[in-house]
Amino acid sequence: MSWRRIKLIFQREIRDQMRDRRTLFMIAILPLLLYPAMGVGMVRMLVSFQEQPRTVVVLGEGDLPEHPKLIEPAEEGEQGPRRFVKDWFGLHSDAEKLDVYTESMLPRAGDADADPKLKQLLADAKRIRQKYEQREKLKSTPGRTKAEIELVNRQLGVLFSTSRIQVLLIVPDGFGGNIAEVNRLLRERSGDSEAIPDYGRPIIMHNMTDKKSQIAYRRVSYAVSAWEQGILSERLSAAHLPATMTTPVNAEAVDLAQVEDISQSLWSVLFPALLIIMSVTGAFYPAIDLAAGEKERGTMETLLICPASRTEIVIGKFLTIMTFSMSTAILNLLSMGLTGNYMMSAMGGGIFGQAGNLAPPSLTALMWVLVLLVPLAALFSALCLSLATFAKSSKEGQYYLTPLLMVTLGLTVFCLSPMIEITPFFSVLPVIGPALLLKELLSSQGTAETLLYAIPVLVTSVIYSMLALWWAIELFSREDVLFRESERFELGLWLRHLLREKEATPSFTEGVVCLVMIFFLQFGSYKFLGTVDTNAPMQAAKLQMIYLVVTVACPALFMAVMLTKSVRQTLRLRWPSFKMLGLAILLPLALHPLSLELLASLDWFFPQLPPSVIKTLAALTDEKLPLWFVLLVFAVTPAVCEEVAFRGFIMSGFSHSNRKWLPIMLSALAFGLVHMIPQQVFNATLIGLVLGLIVYHSRSLVPAILFHLIYNCLPILRGRIDARWIKRIEDTPAEWFFAVEGGAIRYEWPTLLIAAVVAVALLRWLLAQPVGKSSSASAIAELPIEADVNVKTSVHA
Amino acid sequence: MIHAQDLTKSFPDLKRGNVYALDHVSFDVQPGEIYGLLGPNGAGKTTCLRIISTVLRPTGGSAVVAGYDVATHPEEVRARIGFMSGNTGIYDRMTAREMVEYFGRLYGLQEDALQQRIEEIFETLQMHEISDMLGSKMSTGMKQKVSIARTIIHDPPVLVFDEPTTGLDVLVARAVIKTIESLRDQGKCIIFSTHIMREVEKLCDRIAIIHKGKILATGTIDELESEYDEPDMEELFFELISRNDAQVAAELA
Repeated sequence: MSWRRIKLIFQREIRDQMRDRRTLFMIAILPLLLYPAMGVGMVRMLVSFQEQPRTVVVLGEGDLPEHPKLIEPAEEGEQGPRRFVKDWFGLHSDAEKLDVYTESMLPRAGDADADPKLKQLLADAKRIRQKYEQREKLKSTPGRTKAEIELVNRQLGVLFSTSRIQVLLIVPDGFGGNIAEVNRLLRERSGDSEAIPDYGRPIIMHNMTDKKSQIAYRRVSYAVSAWEQGILSERLSAAHLPATMTTPVNAEAVDLAQVEDISQSLWSVLFPALLIIMSVTGAFYPAIDLAAGEKERGTMETLLICPASRTEIVIGKFLTIMTFSMSTAILNLLSMGLTGNYMMSAMGGGIFGQAGNLAPPSLTALMWVLVLLVPLAALFSALCLSLATFAKSSKEGQYYLTPLLMVTLGLTVFCLSPMIEITPFFSVLPVIGPALLLKELLSSQGTAETLLYAIPVLVTSVIYSMLALWWAIELFSREDVLFRESERFELGLWLRHLLREKEATPSFTEGVVCLVMIFFLQFGSYKFLGTVDTNAPMQAAKLQMIYLVVTVACPALFMAVMLTKSVRQTLRLRWPSFKMLGLAILLPLALHPLSLELLASLDWFFPQLPPSVIKTLAALTDEKLPLWFVLLVFAVTPAVCEEVAFRGFIMSGFSHSNRKWLPIMLSALAFGLVHMIPQQVFNATLIGLVLGLIVYHSRSLVPAILFHLIYNCLPILRGRIDARWIKRIEDTPAEWFFAVEGGAIRYEWPTLLIAAVVAVALLRWLLAQPVGKSSSASAIAELPIEADVNVKTSVHA
Repeated sequence: MIHAQDLTKSFPDLKRGNVYALDHVSFDVQPGEIYGLLGPNGAGKTTCLRIISTVLRPTGGSAVVAGYDVATHPEEVRARIGFMSGNTGIYDRMTAREMVEYFGRLYGLQEDALQQRIEEIFETLQMHEISDMLGSKMSTGMKQKVSIARTIIHDPPVLVFDEPTTGLDVLVARAVIKTIESLRDQGKCIIFSTHIMREVEKLCDRIAIIHKGKILATGTIDELESEYDEPDMEELFFELISRNDAQVAAELA
């Protein structure tokens, strides 16, 4: 690899992009203009925006207490809606936002000149009140069915929503008199004040699902409670009681948020989100132009015949895209930060009123933004380049890249949620890790502990970016990707081609399709697994078994039969050497204590399982189930089904390129991913690597099934060991090797040491085994055709 | 300089199954010689030349160019060939000079040697007036000149031209042919594909008639004419192809 050539390509691509008006506009001009333009728009909107007043109807105004007043008295000759008393609102101007209509607004004599709208409102209000009373009566009448009440209730709802009333306040008869009476009783302290009878209370009707009604209700209920406080304090002073009587505690809340904290919490939300979205957008357009655009303009071949290798070309292009991705993100952050800052200081309203100027993030925080931007931009650039390389034209490139944009937006929304915090598990996930770390670092709560997360976040981010870059190079070296011709695509033709042009083993794509099928079948069967009755473990275990057969074994077997010439060769159904079988028996015995210890020591890393999952898992391994049945469900079935699918069909598909490690690693990863619980994903991926190696070196599925079977049996047996037997270990030399912890066996370090030595020795022996002729010709030759039929029956049996 | 042995290239096709774009093709080209690949569209000419220039990898056979195997040392091969085809466009957003400079630098030319070489080439191809013109503004003829300059900037011993005159008007095509001729006179080893008879007659020292991935006949024009007893090249070409088609049809039946 020559850095000189990479630099040449990089410089050329940068210059090329700088000369492209479209890219330049998207990446530099748009962010610089967008935020100020949005700011101007917002100011305009705020100026021209005026909240519409909401309609409140009050029935029974006459029954309100004389003092204090809830509704402003109508002035002589004034037309139009009335208002609640200003004092009952937090902001006095809020009183203007409620239009109050009462019966007293109707002219006394002759309804003729009354406002028809008012008349309609009051008529509706009365009808609603009537319906409401009917409902309450029905409820209190014994012997009425639910359906009857429901019917009236529904009518009430329809009446309310078809009227123009947003809130209806019904004051019961004699309400004011009742209050005055209680006030009098309290003042005179005559009689038994505890025995003061309760009286009818006002009703506030509203509809929570209607936005307008909801807003109006919030205002009305605020005003009514304030008014209630007014009544209360009058009552207290009349009775010569202290005003603080009803608030003996009244704790004072002290908010320690500093002015900087307010802006920090704002930055910690905005910056990670904007950084992700903008680094994707910044990579999007240059990637399409540099890969698909090059094909479209017919310069791809010119570049391919220059002495630069494909790797150098890809790296040069990748660096260009990354430069643009980073500068887009930085420009956007700058532009948004400056505009936002200006807007806040100019308007100074709302919660930022006291903050005045929004404090810019600290220098350290900004440095972290830059540091984390690098891996983010690298990942997105490499991914965009890969996908764009696939496309024939810019248009096609946009189609391929849009899903990436959507997924990224989804991740961003996830990270924005205030509930989501960085955990060890999240820190190793792509995109989520850097975003959450940045969120934590920018917020005022960021502490030294958060900095520790920087290590896993940066390390894994670099690994993900390298993988994505490797993928891009891989794609760029493929002729069928670079010289893809537009072919007429016909589903029928394609299917016929698949069935006709069978090969002995499946293709890479077929392997991927099988995996996707397994994922979808699993997804589709969640519904059934969710209904597992934890009280019927037998039933649940049976369901689990069927689930594995249907979602894992069936797609692989079906595809093997339909799409390959030799099921036997695809699934590697071949008798292995006895040495391999011996290895398959010994290796799980050695790996079992090691993996147990490893998972136990990594417990802190993984997120806690939800209680429902723990309950289900416990139910499935219920002690009451017969041992043979548990072994059948959790050892035999998964060993056969999963090996047939993952080491059988899928790994055969991945092996098509005749490489060693790629198929082993990919199939192990696929195997890990179908285990939904993070702990199991981790464990299964590691075991998948070992299984892949065994299959690769033995060229047979049998030792893998045996290994898998024994490996799955061991934890079940460990959980079932009789307590008496455990007792027997005590005070014997066995104590050196085993300890008892919570009724189960725990392996002491001598056991672990022996296990590790044995495992390493066995794996080294395995790696040293000659592989022989890898796949093709020989295997077909030695197999008669009817063998395939035998195979199918034997697998089902 | 070019030695191709049983070059084969096959790829899967939805409709026709495995298709052979190139089926055991062998030939040799010496320095100072123009070898012509003559064949109808889709005969496998481009595939063959792409393999020679390492853009595609052969599925079978081997090719050695300027002493290096295309499969094992593609970078050495690329450094020693100049390749020009209808598919090797020039960059829209680069001027003629930038374009040629860029490729010269990629080939590892020293800066002063490069500038001198550019002067020479621009002089012979009369490109000075387009030297600062962007690719998108150029006419087809101008673009072709830039392509030729790009192809020969590193003075490669082997030159590959894949239908270099397609889509050009008579004047430009003639200029291109003249350039190729003069390159032959400099002792370059040239392989040249076309479907135009006259160009072959005028230019090529030896030719191969290629059809459906197979070489039907090869030799100098005189040899071919006497072997098949047909003085007209066009008739010869047509006859060979129709005879081959009939033979294939008979085999299938």
